[in-house]
Amino acid sequence: MEFLAEHQLYIVMIIVLGIWLGLYVYLFRLDGRISKLEKESRHES
Amino acid sequence: MILKGALGVLLTLVIIAAFALPITPQPQSWLEFPLIPGLEEKARIIFFHVPTAWLSVMAFLTSMVFGIRYLRKRDMLDDIRSSSAAGLGLLFCILATATGAVWAKFNWGSFWNWDPRETSIFVLLLIYGAYFSLRSAIEVEEKRATLSSVYSIIAAVTVPFFVFIMPRIMTGLHPGAKGDPDGAGPVIEFKMSPNMRVVFFASLIAFTLLFVWMFTLRVRAARLESHLQAKG
Repeated sequence: MEFLAEHQLYIVMIIVLGIWLGLYVYLFRLDGRISKLEKESRHES
Repeated sequence: MILKGALGVLLTLVIIAAFALPITPQPQSWLEFPLIPGLEEKARIIFFHVPTAWLSVMAFLTSMVFGIRYLRKRDMLDDIRSSSAAGLGLLFCILATATGAVWAKFNWGSFWNWDPRETSIFVLLLIYGAYFSLRSAIEVEEKRATLSSVYSIIAAVTVPFFVFIMPRIMTGLHPGAKGDPDGAGPVIEFKMSPNMRVVFFASLIAFTLLFVWMFTLRVRAARLESHLQAKG
């Protein structure tokens, strides 16, 4: 904790990494869902 | 799949490098950034602010290219591509404005100063905001596609003027403005050390890959939506 208090920039880095991880996981899951829907729509037609 | 993995690793490394590498007046190793007078620790924003601004330009030009293609071939998929690119361009433009405003607060003293650079990006936001107002105001699909394609071409013609020309011919506080003692070129050319350039270009590549991924996802989702609507 003392390290983070002295180097506040690391806290910003951790937050930015967290946002990026969240966005990445969201896009990855969205990609999977769209692929699934595309497959279903191809089967139907 | 490989590209998505590469993007994940690359942008993570860029974020770590941009924040964790120390900025010192006399760098002793490759893992230290030099101190840029006037920017100091705030120089770190370049790794995120410039790629978002650059990508908004790329996205607006992509929107124009697909707008032209729609007008030539009358394929609704091109209209979907054009509007998806414009949407992402607007998103990245907002991000560039927000990151720029944060930087302005700590460098110039307030979030918004109506500097030529800020004014020009504000006008750009209005132009592309109007693009979506236009799209939502027309119900007939073909008419909407035709009009918004024409609008995307006219709007993209103004982009180089607002992003590259106007802020450089007017006196302002933004680096590269007229009156900047270091010249009116891009910041990367005259102020960045080689290691900063590596992180900067890695960031540019990562953001471009992110844009391509988001763009294809948006187009695929919009295409599915139109398929479902056609089925009723």
